[in-house]
Amino acid sequence: MDKNRAINIILQNVNGPIVSANGHISRNLYEIKDLDSNFYMIGSMGLASSIGLGIALKNSKKTVFVLDGDGNILMNLGSLITVGSLKPTNFVHFILDNQIHESTGGQPTHSKRVSLEKIAKAAGYAVYKTDNKLDLEMILKKIKTVKGPIMILIKVSKKSKVGKRIDIEPLMIRERFTNSLK
Amino acid sequence: MKKENQRLMCDFLLNNGIQNMVGVPDSTLQFLIEHGLKEKKAIIATREEEAIGIGVGMVLADSPSLIFMQNAGFANCISTITSLVKLYEIPLLFIIGWRGYSQNDAPEHELVGKIQPDLIKLIDLESKIVTDKNWERNSRWALKKIQSSTPCALIVRRIENG
Repeated sequence: MDKNRAINIILQNVNGPIVSANGHISRNLYEIKDLDSNFYMIGSMGLASSIGLGIALKNSKKTVFVLDGDGNILMNLGSLITVGSLKPTNFVHFILDNQIHESTGGQPTHSKRVSLEKIAKAAGYAVYKTDNKLDLEMILKKIKTVKGPIMILIKVSKKSKVGKRIDIEPLMIRERFTNSLK
Repeated sequence: MKKENQRLMCDFLLNNGIQNMVGVPDSTLQFLIEHGLKEKKAIIATREEEAIGIGVGMVLADSPSLIFMQNAGFANCISTITSLVKLYEIPLLFIIGWRGYSQNDAPEHELVGKIQPDLIKLIDLESKIVTDKNWERNSRWALKKIQSSTPCALIVRRIENG
């Protein structure tokens, strides 16, 4: 499915802080719906899940949603181990898997050949997988009664419309995000 | 630093605002980390950048945190510190064990140990060296820094037989 469509469906069905990976994912999210509760990563590739984990551990009242990419999580696979070990129940980890490094020119990642699903399951995540709207909507309803950590792997197409650059100052992103958690 | 002083410093930081310790173990900081684990305040990450990510999340959730690591790991973190910690002005306190300070340390620590003071200056991360004598004063300095939203580092030198 189209990546922007997937993000749209996620936004319609979840309520809570979102940490979005650097590259096109943050730009897509920013373009679709800018919210104080979105933490847009600009640099530090790979760390969206770790930042999300830190928030989830310290704010048990909210469910934390991480919008990650395949290239991003492959840079920080150890994060799956730490999440699986600490077992935050309020942690939902989306992987928008387009099998490429989109923002650097579409070079392939290895997610085509190695199963992220199996790795996440072995780490202790409850894992769901989809490539279409109907299943994604069903999964998003279902997980409301499932204890985390949860991973939702979404297969998305390689080509998608690129969102605008994030033009909010990083300090502002941080401040409004922290205030939204209170 | 002596075992007792590492334990005292850990308690001092935990009693004065620090709520979490996240990092990768280092023998120079062994007793500080052991004490943090005993107090159930420390989390071991798989690598240093991951530890910083977790610490950033905790600070975003209003929970002051420190990150512990060896200077070899600090060298791994230059990009994360510049494009995350410094860029978003996240007040993390770094505690870094300095291998390669003594000339008779293991060979893999020699070059990175030599450039450690320059490296930390180049990325504009304020730091102080902590010793058995000054740990309380410099810990107060670090706590003040992070209270005013400035990330900073405390460096513990690896001194053989010392």
